[in-house]
Amino acid sequence: MKKILFWIIVMLFIISPVGILILQSFTSPGSWTEFSLYGWRGLFETARLLEATGTSLIIGFFVTVINIAVGMSAGKALALYTFQGKTAVDTLFVMPLLVPILAITFGVHIAMIRIGLADTALGVILIHLVPTAPYSIRIFRNGYVSLGRRMQEQAETLGASAGRTFFDIELPLLKPSVQSVIFLTFVISLSQYVITSIIGGGTVVTLAMVYFPFLDSADTTLIAAFSIWFAVLPLLFYITAGAAFRLLPYPRKSGRRELF
Amino acid sequence: MKLSARIKPWLLLTPALLFLLLPLYGLWSAFRLSVYPDGKLTGQVYVRLFSHSDFLLSFLYSLWVAAASTFLSLLIGWFFTRAFVPMLERTGGRLTVWLPMVFPHFVWAYLVLLLFQEGGLVSGLLPGNRAYANDPEGIGIILTYMGKEIPFVILMLLPVYLTRNRLYDDLTETLGGSWFSKIRDAELPFVTPVLIETGIIIFAFTFGAYEVPALVGATFPEMLSILTFDWFYSGDWSERPLAFAAMVFLTTVIGVISLLLFHFINKMRRNITEGL
Repeated sequence: MKKILFWIIVMLFIISPVGILILQSFTSPGSWTEFSLYGWRGLFETARLLEATGTSLIIGFFVTVINIAVGMSAGKALALYTFQGKTAVDTLFVMPLLVPILAITFGVHIAMIRIGLADTALGVILIHLVPTAPYSIRIFRNGYVSLGRRMQEQAETLGASAGRTFFDIELPLLKPSVQSVIFLTFVISLSQYVITSIIGGGTVVTLAMVYFPFLDSADTTLIAAFSIWFAVLPLLFYITAGAAFRLLPYPRKSGRRELF
Repeated sequence: MKLSARIKPWLLLTPALLFLLLPLYGLWSAFRLSVYPDGKLTGQVYVRLFSHSDFLLSFLYSLWVAAASTFLSLLIGWFFTRAFVPMLERTGGRLTVWLPMVFPHFVWAYLVLLLFQEGGLVSGLLPGNRAYANDPEGIGIILTYMGKEIPFVILMLLPVYLTRNRLYDDLTETLGGSWFSKIRDAELPFVTPVLIETGIIIFAFTFGAYEVPALVGATFPEMLSILTFDWFYSGDWSERPLAFAAMVFLTTVIGVISLLLFHFINKMRRNITEGL
């Protein structure tokens, strides 16, 4: 009974809205039944779209890499060490989520112009760190808390170097945290319109920058395809990142039990 | 050895602390530009800001939209989570519920437009045939935020319900506690800190975010973010300091509210670990 109620609610408020977008993107304009690739063809024929997709992927990639580095190191410090001022540091790391992003972006803008970062992809990457890094620090902190110290201590006792401990123990065991960070960071980076437009100054054209003016057109089929594209990209990015993770030289011989 | 153990955490924290310089500098710079608009220290900008009727209206309007979005998202997200823990324990159920989080806020805003604007797919079915997008009450904005934030609330709350000690449920039941006292005594102490923290994040975000009101907001009244964005890009630069001042004021309001609530959470956490 409860299960039915659950799926009714999910169907009504999540699946059908998304379903409408998918349906609209695959039917001809004005019709709900006639299959057509008009929307998707139109989308990929928009020259700016492919370019913007590339820009978004590059920016998202660097934002994600920096997030993993920053989040992993800070998460480890917060989870496994006690030190003076820990509570203060902890609170400071939540702060970027509580300050309106426009306050930060307005303030940073002039400095970015002065040092030549305004209107560049690097400037956009830096400003995208603000709404993402606090989450990454948190996710890695929780990851390291549940990992604990013992595994690493064991490796150290057995004489492993810091690098060996990291690649053979921490990284594989933190895989779920890494995956969450990759996914969340990329989705958030892709969603930034106003800060990208201020810092990128219209020169750095990400997908969000193309989508916004697109909404003024009345072509609902095209917009539907574009909207779905926003969900497809993070999934593609995530799958690619997962494949890259598999390239890491961890023992996967048959007969040996895998950790995950 | 001793020294390196003391330095190690700070070495690990260095990248994150370097990152923090960016938001801290931004905030400080916005503050500086609001009190030194022409190179001289003055409170003139704030006097102008508070006597601006557009600002006061926008501020109150944003407060209403943010408070309503936060409250409804927390309430519905919480009751949904506690009612459907078994379904959310399964990967399929969980991922479906989290699906809206994959879409940017502005895509969800477009969906609300599509469904609720004049002549939209749902608005025609509603009594009175009225539109709930671009409406002066801000219902369209609130609906968009609920669609995006309820899954976020579930994401934050679910771990609490999965790891919570269920013996407290049995305890209240054995002692003859009602449905209400079960929530109050066995759940609320564990859920409240997470609810408040999640609430602060949602409140701060919805109070100052630009994308959603830009798409589903009304032309009047305007959310604060829209008003300040216009000031920031106004042609003659004379209104730019107002944009800085408005954002500094908004930050202060959110800061004070968060401090009070964090203080409350810490007190509660102490009560749980030491008191019960």
